[in-house]
Amino acid sequence: MFKYFISFYFLFVFVDGFTQEQKVVLKETKKDSIVYKSPYGIRIGVDISKPILSSIDRLYSGFEIVGDYRISKRFFLATELGFEEKISEEDYTNSTSKGRYVRLGFNYNTYENWLDMNNEIFVGYRYGFSIFNQTLNSYAPNVSSTYFPANIVNTAITQSRLNAHWSEFVFGFKVETFKNFFVSASFSYKVLMSAKEPENFKTLFSPGFNRIFESSTGFGFNYTVSYLIPFKRK
Amino acid sequence: MRKTIVLLFLSIIIISACEKDDFCIQNPITPNLVLRFYDANNRDALKSVSSFYVWAEGKDTIFKNVSTDSIYIPLNSQAMETVYNFSKGNTVNKFMIKYTPEDEYISRSCGFRAIFNEVTFTSDNTWITDFTPETVTSIDHQNEAHVQIFH
Repeated sequence: MFKYFISFYFLFVFVDGFTQEQKVVLKETKKDSIVYKSPYGIRIGVDISKPILSSIDRLYSGFEIVGDYRISKRFFLATELGFEEKISEEDYTNSTSKGRYVRLGFNYNTYENWLDMNNEIFVGYRYGFSIFNQTLNSYAPNVSSTYFPANIVNTAITQSRLNAHWSEFVFGFKVETFKNFFVSASFSYKVLMSAKEPENFKTLFSPGFNRIFESSTGFGFNYTVSYLIPFKRK
Repeated sequence: MRKTIVLLFLSIIIISACEKDDFCIQNPITPNLVLRFYDANNRDALKSVSSFYVWAEGKDTIFKNVSTDSIYIPLNSQAMETVYNFSKGNTVNKFMIKYTPEDEYISRSCGFRAIFNEVTFTSDNTWITDFTPETVTSIDHQNEAHVQIFH
């Protein structure tokens, strides 16, 4: 009797199996004929935060030109060139850093655009290099006692041709507000690779790097407006 | 893939956001001169100075009627020498310290400190019998006594 049932089930299993098999009919699917092309070209702009900061902060002045060039769907070669001067007022020292810098690298756009939009949420890498002078304007020796108070030393010591090399990780976005006109904001985390330090002092601020923290790191913000000169669309 | 890249960037930023160079936690920055007092008869044994007064020439008293076997006193970084008066009861002993001060950079929060090079000590030995050493190449710390004084 059981044998009968088992055979019966087997029958159904195989029957089921075979009834499932069907001939696959390939349907001709037409490719979407509408392709949204995006522009390729060179984009140049300025950092708008730096002139504003220069006018409100008496310790700072700076200017930066930015540019990028699209090399593939998602990759952009990017560069920034600038000039900065900053007075670092600390508890015991007052110093000025003044010089130029360049940053070179790329951005990778992680944003999937809808239709013909050209916005970006990007991550990127930069190699930064700066050449600057640093002047120690004045300092008060930290004598840690009031019994023999120390005088403030006002003889300025300038050390020129200092330099710094660093790596930078960038995160930001770009929005096309008008045709070919972009507004962008980005944040960068910087790691100092090497620096030519002044004698018996330290570089507290490097142009392009901003404040150098004790751990040889730093961060920066950029707010730029830029204009795209399209070469081709694809 | 793209989400992980973004997350990675954000976590790097968050982890590395805190810095600690805003406050000078090193204390003291400029070293003081550390003196220890020993027994002149038993040169290994510390011996306290009783009714001990200490002041620098033309300055206020730092130690007033104390009984101690070790003191630390500041040096004048604006001059080439500091003259101290060590008084045991009513007997005053002049102790002269000659040196070349130098400003040495420490850090952003601590700034510069003074260190003292080519230090020589002289004493007019009233109640102090002798001391060692007479010269020190550099005073740049105060972890141990710079001078041992016997009395």
